[in-house]
Amino acid sequence: MRLSDREQDGIIVLEPKGKIMGGPDASLLHDKLYEFIEQDKKKVVIDLSQVDWMNSTGLGILISGYTTLRNTNGELKLASVTDKIQSLLTITKLVTVFEAYDTVDEAVESFK
Amino acid sequence: MKKPIISGDTITIPSSQEYLTDVDVFIEGILRGYGADESVIADVAISVSELVNNAILHGNRSSDVKTVKVTIARNSKDISITVVDEGQGFNPDDIEDPLADENLLKEAGRGIFIVRSLMDDVDIYEDNGGTAIKITKSIG
Repeated sequence: MRLSDREQDGIIVLEPKGKIMGGPDASLLHDKLYEFIEQDKKKVVIDLSQVDWMNSTGLGILISGYTTLRNTNGELKLASVTDKIQSLLTITKLVTVFEAYDTVDEAVESFK
Repeated sequence: MKKPIISGDTITIPSSQEYLTDVDVFIEGILRGYGADESVIADVAISVSELVNNAILHGNRSSDVKTVKVTIARNSKDISITVVDEGQGFNPDDIEDPLADENLLKEAGRGIFIVRSLMDDVDIYEDNGGTAIKITKSIG
C-alpha cells in the first residue's frame, strides 16, 4: 500500500492506494491518521477510490480512527468506497457506522 | 527460515507479516492463470490474507522458528487453499459474534467471519499439531 495526504478546505484527505492487508503497510495508514490527530487536525476524509481491497486489519484501522476522532470531537468520513469494500462494510454491518460519500468533494462539503 | 520458499503450488513463509505480500502475489498469480475473474480473486486474496495474519499472529505468535504454509489446489469448478500453522489451535465457537452491538466497534475479531462470508466452504482442523484451515471457492 502507498499513502498520500493533502488538505482540502481545512479537511485532511488521506489517499491510500493498493491493498490494506496488515503488517507494515497497514501501520502506515494508522500512523498517518494519528499523526494528524496529534496535530489537532481532526476532520478527516479517507478516499478509498484507489484501494483494491482491504481485510479486517484495514477495517480495524478505520474503526480505530473513527472512534478516536469521535471521542476527541473530530470526525472521520469515507469517500469513493469501491464495490468490494462496500460489500465488506455491509457484511460486517460497519455500513451503519461510517458516513460515506460518493466523492471526496461531497465528503469535504459535508463538514461545512 | 529467513525468506519465503515456493515449491509447486505451495508457498511457505516465516512467521512475519512482512511476507503477506509474497503470499498475495503467489495466490493472485495462480488464480489469474486459472482464469478466475477479478472479483473472485479479490475475495480469495482477502480470505487468504485473513488466515495468514491469524496463523502468524495467533497461531505461531510471530515465532521466528515457526512457519506458515499456504497450498493452492484446483478441480474443474473449485479452487481450494489450505493455510497451516504450527500453533496450538483454536475453537472457532469461541469467537465472539462481530455483528453484535457490543462488538461492532471492536478493532479486531472479524477475520474468520469475513472468510466465512466470502468463501463457499471453510474447514478448520488439526494438522500435525498445528491448525489447518481449508477454504473453497467456485471459479466455474
